[in-house]
Amino acid sequence: MATHALSPAAVAGYRGGLYEWLTTTDHKKIGILYVINSFLFFLIGGIFALLVRAELAAPGLQLFQNEHVYNESFTIHATVMIFLFIIPMLAGLGNFAVPLMIGAPDMAFPRINALSFWMLPLGGILLLMGFLTPGGAAAAGWTSYPPLAGNSPLASPGPGQDLWIASLVLIGTSSILGGINFLVTIFKMRAPGMTLFRMPIMVWTVLVTSILVVMATPVITSAIVMLYIDRNLGGSFFNPESGGIAVLYQNVFWFYSHPAVYVMVLPAMGVISEVLPVFSRKPLFGYKAFVFATAGIGALGFSVWAHHMFTTGAVFLPFFSLMTFLIAVPTGVKMFNWVFTMFRGQLTFSTPLLFAVGFLTMFLIGGINGAFSASVPVDFALHDTYWVVAHLHYVLFGGSAFGVFAGIYYWFPKMTGRMLDEGLGKVQFVLMFIGFNLTFFPMHILGVKGMPRRIADYASGAGWNDWNLVATIGGFLIGLSMLPFIWNVFVSLRNGKVAGNDPWEGNTLEWATTSPPPPYNFDRLPEIRSERPLFDARHGLVGHGEPEPGPALLEQPAPSGEVPAAPDDEAGVGEQTTTGEDLETKR
Amino acid sequence: MVLLLIAVVAVVFLTGAGSALYPPAPATDQAREIASLYDIVFAIAVAIFVAVEGLIVWSIIRYRRKPTDTDLPPQTHGNNFVEVLWTLIPTVIVLYLFVISWQTLNNIEAVSVDPDVRVHAVAGQFQWQFEYLDANGQVLATQSVPVADQGGGMAVPVGRTVYVTLDSPDVIHAWYVPRFLFKRDVVPGQTNHFEFTLDPSEAGQTYRGQCAELCGTGHRVMLFDVLALSQADFDAWLAALIEKSNATPPPLPSGATTLTLSAENIAYDTLELEVPADTPFAIQFANNDPPGVPHDADIRETDNTTVVQDQPTIDGGTSTTYTYDPLPAGTYTFICSVHPIPAMTGTLTVR
Amino acid sequence: MTAESRAVAASEAHGASHGTAVAGHAASRGISNPVLGMLLFITSEVMFFSGLFAAYFATRAANQPWPPAEFQGLLDPLSLILVATIILVASSFTCQFAVWSIRRGDRTGFIRNITVTFVLGVIFLGLQAVDYSILFSEGLTMGSGAFGTTYFTLTGFHGAHVFGGVLMLGVILYRGMLGQFSSRHHDAVEAVSLYWHFVDVVWIVLFSVLYLL
Ligand code: HEA
Ligand code: HEA
Ligand code: CUA
Ligand SMILES: [Cu+2]
Repeated sequence: MATHALSPAAVAGYRGGLYEWLTTTDHKKIGILYVINSFLFFLIGGIFALLVRAELAAPGLQLFQNEHVYNESFTIHATVMIFLFIIPMLAGLGNFAVPLMIGAPDMAFPRINALSFWMLPLGGILLLMGFLTPGGAAAAGWTSYPPLAGNSPLASPGPGQDLWIASLVLIGTSSILGGINFLVTIFKMRAPGMTLFRMPIMVWTVLVTSILVVMATPVITSAIVMLYIDRNLGGSFFNPESGGIAVLYQNVFWFYSHPAVYVMVLPAMGVISEVLPVFSRKPLFGYKAFVFATAGIGALGFSVWAHHMFTTGAVFLPFFSLMTFLIAVPTGVKMFNWVFTMFRGQLTFSTPLLFAVGFLTMFLIGGINGAFSASVPVDFALHDTYWVVAHLHYVLFGGSAFGVFAGIYYWFPKMTGRMLDEGLGKVQFVLMFIGFNLTFFPMHILGVKGMPRRIADYASGAGWNDWNLVATIGGFLIGLSMLPFIWNVFVSLRNGKVAGNDPWEGNTLEWATTSPPPPYNFDRLPEIRSERPLFDARHGLVGHGEPEPGPALLEQPAPSGEVPAAPDDEAGVGEQTTTGEDLETKR
Repeated sequence: MVLLLIAVVAVVFLTGAGSALYPPAPATDQAREIASLYDIVFAIAVAIFVAVEGLIVWSIIRYRRKPTDTDLPPQTHGNNFVEVLWTLIPTVIVLYLFVISWQTLNNIEAVSVDPDVRVHAVAGQFQWQFEYLDANGQVLATQSVPVADQGGGMAVPVGRTVYVTLDSPDVIHAWYVPRFLFKRDVVPGQTNHFEFTLDPSEAGQTYRGQCAELCGTGHRVMLFDVLALSQADFDAWLAALIEKSNATPPPLPSGATTLTLSAENIAYDTLELEVPADTPFAIQFANNDPPGVPHDADIRETDNTTVVQDQPTIDGGTSTTYTYDPLPAGTYTFICSVHPIPAMTGTLTVR
Repeated sequence: MTAESRAVAASEAHGASHGTAVAGHAASRGISNPVLGMLLFITSEVMFFSGLFAAYFATRAANQPWPPAEFQGLLDPLSLILVATIILVASSFTCQFAVWSIRRGDRTGFIRNITVTFVLGVIFLGLQAVDYSILFSEGLTMGSGAFGTTYFTLTGFHGAHVFGGVLMLGVILYRGMLGQFSSRHHDAVEAVSLYWHFVDVVWIVLFSVLYLL
């Protein structure tokens, strides 16, 4: 990769002062803000998780005076983790990476992008403000089923639940605007030659995720708006006493929230699909199959929602069971493609790859135990027990969160120009991996043995004591694993190894520009003739045959005549690229 | 290091935890069906896990980059044959799982035309009540003490079909007995039902049951027990319950003060009561909440926890007269033991 | 996307991040960014209303007879509401005329048509307010069981969208009067008109479902 020095002005513009960061509309800075904000909320959500674990370490109420505080804790834990950590964190990585990966100068609507971001801390503050209100914060679980989330005396009378609703509407709107922004960016702002089927898989996953967001998030908005009307305006959507239907909420809620679980994992799968090829020195196995599987998951995702409602006695069981089973198939396709990407490769175990492998091994467990629940009779036994808690953490933490850390280690050099420390990274990984399995594996056992979820306490004779203690120890180990990470970030920001443009020998366009990139991302772009433009620039088009013309969705230019085909040697990228100015003057 | 960890996890998964991952011994015919389905699902799951995890582990051991690896590895972009293969094989597996699940589902959801015992379970915050019905749906007797420790529980005869209907007056609860491998939600405004048959060998057993759907602060205390009795024991048990239900309360001692108290919308109508010291007194207590919302009026020390005099709960829509023994002068708390919230915690002044 | 349009997009994003007006210079070919963005936004709005409609139909199926006896005949299609419907449908036409005007470069025609659309939108809102007060006086409120709740939620959210649309029309009108639109440069107009048509279509569905079905 030829190096071209970044002009001092560009660097200054990139670093910027506080004011610059607060008012920025640069997608890279917004992406970084997303990541920082989401990480802070991860710590907050994690602290609530640790409170929950501390309470459950042994039978008897020790930590909390009463169950209400416990219910608040896991409700806020889950709401924060899902809506303020995992979804925005993935959106943030996407925000940083997608325009770079498709060779765009920025997102399509930079100011709306900034707006989307700033709604998040606001929503988070609204949510947490619940603790200051008389009735306390929301305590009806992250699913907030009415009538419990209604306002009758023993349900959720205080303003905490209303703040929960307001906060989720705000965060939802932020997601929708973000999703629209991603879609327009991906459809309209790809660099010349970047056909849809040359886009990095990360971009594909963000594309499908955004479609899910745009189609599903408004539906949860409608659900919680109806809940709000029931609570505050005398409505009776979900109140059976005045003609409402209690399970109606669940149908509407899960119509969103099942697709949403793919919102919570697809971009992480995208990260993995970037990391595995780079560190295996091989292309992603089965690129097209991967794209179709991603789209298939997105489509099937809308037809399985009632698998959360198997025990309500109000849904058509065989249909939802079948669809839920079927959704394992496209995910399986991805799993095998990932494994075969590593197969016969040359694996370098840098931290991003460690986390990626962590994702594979843990998500596999989470996915398979999800498929357990697709079998309705088995779900009758497992529903609302710790089995489900185990499932959701294996997919969300073992999957998505491992993917997030893989992404952070992978792109940190691009974001900051410096590498994170490998040693500390490995320490974090090992602690996190052990802690994670200690915490959540025993929950399978607890679930099968009949421990219901969302209970503040349990009888000491029920036989759940030991595994709960193990889980608590594991939970604190996960907490501990954050310390080397935080330390790593602070130390590496100052003293980390200087990254250079392309520390990992990456495949995708973001590695063609400087680290950090200039405000408009690229001074020059390599020619794009496959899904691995940088690899091609380094090694030539290996194993590709003639590049095929793109699909007819958007018109693409024919490979432009002015630019000679990429050479086979390592050196030439700099000389072989088309610059922005070139394009401008050609008009 | 990583490999070691993964290996450890795999070993744990297969050996120690493998048996721990097996559900408790099934007690009903339906549970046995579910357990044998679980066996198959579990076996297939373990097989898939071992195969895929094995592939991952093997790949990362076998294909680490060696110092000699300067050339690129073969740049395989994919292979349509294997893609089809690993689409089809999982499809076949899940279709098989779906079919056997569906069959089991049909078996466990089947209900008999004329069940031997009918129980109407009412779950309200935070208490279970079991009404025994005759063939026409008339209530024969109500078991309002849900747990065995307190001499209660939902008794059923072994070897007979038991048909349970579920109702809730307030929020969603769930009827869950781990050894039945079964739960069903209790949804307000919607009567759910299911049927089970206990194995005759289970007579004498007690099964722990618990509400499995978050229903508020008292969610975890919504415990109940199911008692498996022989037919003869069950008949005697039910007869005793019917007799108890019909019994009239003891007469009020003469000279006692009688107060009135009512409860509606999970709140007392007054939070201040006054009685003379050292004389017996009575409270005519009306529960105006809908059926399924039980209340009572216990007397406790002002610390809210030390019970002075305990009273049985009564169901919504009914009333009763509670009689209390004489109390020394002082202040006490009267409280609903089912709903110890401020709206149902009053001050009793004795002077 | 052509090299040319990419450069345009680049300069556009460039402009935007410096806070200068970025009304969406259309990429020279294909659908422009603001219009695509608006279409996606409308998709999400459709899903929002789908959630509400799903709730409506579920509740309706569970509550027979519908409307409940006490409110029988209250929602009469041949009343003020028909006038409101005609007005809203008409405004969709005038809105489209405005778009055609500006596409031709006819600024006065554009301003005239947008003004009419704006006024019609405001009249619709006024009529809806009158209609609400009539229903209130008949005893139908948000609290009158599932019937009242669904009616006021659906029409209320629609009204809120009309209100939003009227605001957008106001902005368009203002900018039009400042002369910011031309035959080549009027993506904002296209986007707002799409939104206005969407609001109209939702009303037609709503009217059919609530009053005719
Ligand atoms: C990232 C989030 C995420 C993801 C990706 C998934 C993925 C899946 N989930 Fe999960 N799920 C949650 C998050 C997620 N889930 C959450 C948060 C809850 C709880 C909500 C609450 O109540 O609070 C939940 C709950 C939940 C339930 C309800 C349980 C209950 O309450 O009773 C069910 C039931 O079917 C389910 C199923 C599945 C299935 C089948 C998948 C599939 O997509 C998994 C597919 C993957 C694989 C199967 C592994 C790889 C495949 C192969 C190697 C091929 C071969 C495999 C087979 C042939 C089986 N999930
Ligand atoms: C992305 C999603 C996500 C993540 C990452 C987590 C992470 C964790 N979760 Fe959570 N969880 C959910 C999503 C998630 N969870 C959901 C959806 C539910 C269902 C809720 C419901 O039923 O409604 C749930 C429920 C849930 C329960 C069940 C509660 C119940 O049903 O009663 C438990 C119990 O152990 C638990 C534990 C944990 C633990 C120990 C972690 C750990 O991984 C946390 C690790 C800890 C930290 C990250 C803290 C680090 C902090 C420090 C080290 C302090 C440093 C401080 C400063 C620098 C200021 N979670
Ligand atoms: Cu009742 Cu939980
Ligand atoms: Cu789901």
